[in-house]
Amino acid sequence: MDIKDLKLLIKTVTESDITEFEMDNSDEKIVIKRGHKPEYIQMGAPMMQPYAAPQFAAPTQAAPAAPAAAAPSAAAEAGDTLNSPIVGSFYRAPAPDAAPYVEVGQIVEQGQVLCIVEAMKLMNEIEAECKCKIIKICKENAQAVEFGDPLFVIQKL
Amino acid sequence: MHQKACTILRLFRDNGGFVSGEYVSKELGVSRTAIWKHISSLRELGHVIEAVPSRGYRLVSSPEWFDSVELKAQLNTLRVGKRLDCLKQTTSTNSDAFRIAEDGAPEGAVVVADAQFGGKGRRGRVWSSPAGVNLYCSVVLRPSIMPNEAPQLTFLSAVAVTRAIELTTGLKPEIKWPNDVLIGGKKVAGLLNEMSAETDCINFIILGIGVNLNMSPDQFPEDLRYPATSLLLESGSKVSRTRFAATMMNELDKLYADFLEHGFGPVREEWQLRCNAKGKAVSVSDGGIEQTSGLFMGIDADGALLLRSGGGRIERIVSGDVRVI
Repeated sequence: MDIKDLKLLIKTVTESDITEFEMDNSDEKIVIKRGHKPEYIQMGAPMMQPYAAPQFAAPTQAAPAAPAAAAPSAAAEAGDTLNSPIVGSFYRAPAPDAAPYVEVGQIVEQGQVLCIVEAMKLMNEIEAECKCKIIKICKENAQAVEFGDPLFVIQKL
Repeated sequence: MHQKACTILRLFRDNGGFVSGEYVSKELGVSRTAIWKHISSLRELGHVIEAVPSRGYRLVSSPEWFDSVELKAQLNTLRVGKRLDCLKQTTSTNSDAFRIAEDGAPEGAVVVADAQFGGKGRRGRVWSSPAGVNLYCSVVLRPSIMPNEAPQLTFLSAVAVTRAIELTTGLKPEIKWPNDVLIGGKKVAGLLNEMSAETDCINFIILGIGVNLNMSPDQFPEDLRYPATSLLLESGSKVSRTRFAATMMNELDKLYADFLEHGFGPVREEWQLRCNAKGKAVSVSDGGIEQTSGLFMGIDADGALLLRSGGGRIERIVSGDVRVI
């Protein structure tokens, strides 16, 4: 995407009611989030450039810092967090080739499975404690989580 | 009625050959008509029992699949197997146990199946479960511990299976962290546990236990991710499935009682003695990429593997594939 199109995209998103925009194709990923903080843009293709040369790596490394800094305040405003009851590995789907249990924006019923946290071959299916909306998924698939780490930001309905 | 039928089976086994109806009726303290009813119910379960006038009854053969009477007769437990559901076939005993636990099944309830269509492995993988040869079972536990302590039970079931293999075959299995049971470096059992918990309490834990007992070489799937074996292949003789199941459940029951009374300490010590890495150097890899290596120092209270690196620093490993080097 060239800079002209990107500017147009930001303008369109800013003028709409959209608070979060995400686009992901094979060679680039664009995330635009809006809130009380100024909008920021994250651009890059981290999955495609694990061995990028330092001069290219620098901007992509700098970009994730913005969402990380903005996340806590967004979480506090948006709703409650659902925390991990155990140390383990976070899985979004029942199997590597299966669809994720939930996506951002989805409304889930009480008792619905949201993810699996595995610790030492003990599979812990984390369920929604009440009907709620998934605001944010805080961890990447297969990422290690500590006891008490937020897994989801949810909004109770 | 159940208990009486168990006793009848025991009498048949203890005496061998023919057992007179009069003797059985005296031992059980019931009428000969009542015994006839118990014999009928045993026959319905698949036991073949011969009845010859003036000689009595003789147990010709017992069913190929597990039946609860047979298995219960060999149990000596406080909790494990107090409820016992023996199925000819099912999708997954873990799923069945999870469902009955949600419906309020008591602690120690066990589901055993002769065959599974969709035996559960890690991350959606399938545990090969042909009929008539192995043990596939799942145990419901309701310990009053915190959810973060639950992984300790992974080590408990590994120790129970290892003990049962030793007791029934004399083979010396080893445990690969955290809970693969190996004989001569080949996997003989798969243990997969599931938990239902709230933030600060456990509703229940399902211990899923699959052990390759009498599987022959042609029964192993071709696309195995690791070398596998069975007790038959390692020992050269068939193992009684019922005896193995009962032994494993008896050992699990003892270990669990000890765990509830004394905590993780005793299980951890025994696990460390049975671990294939005891006193050795190991390397840890994740997704085929080596992460670290060091000397095996045991496991901590969370079950995390402790390694001492060259510099004397202790590293704590919570996931990965551990190989003895």
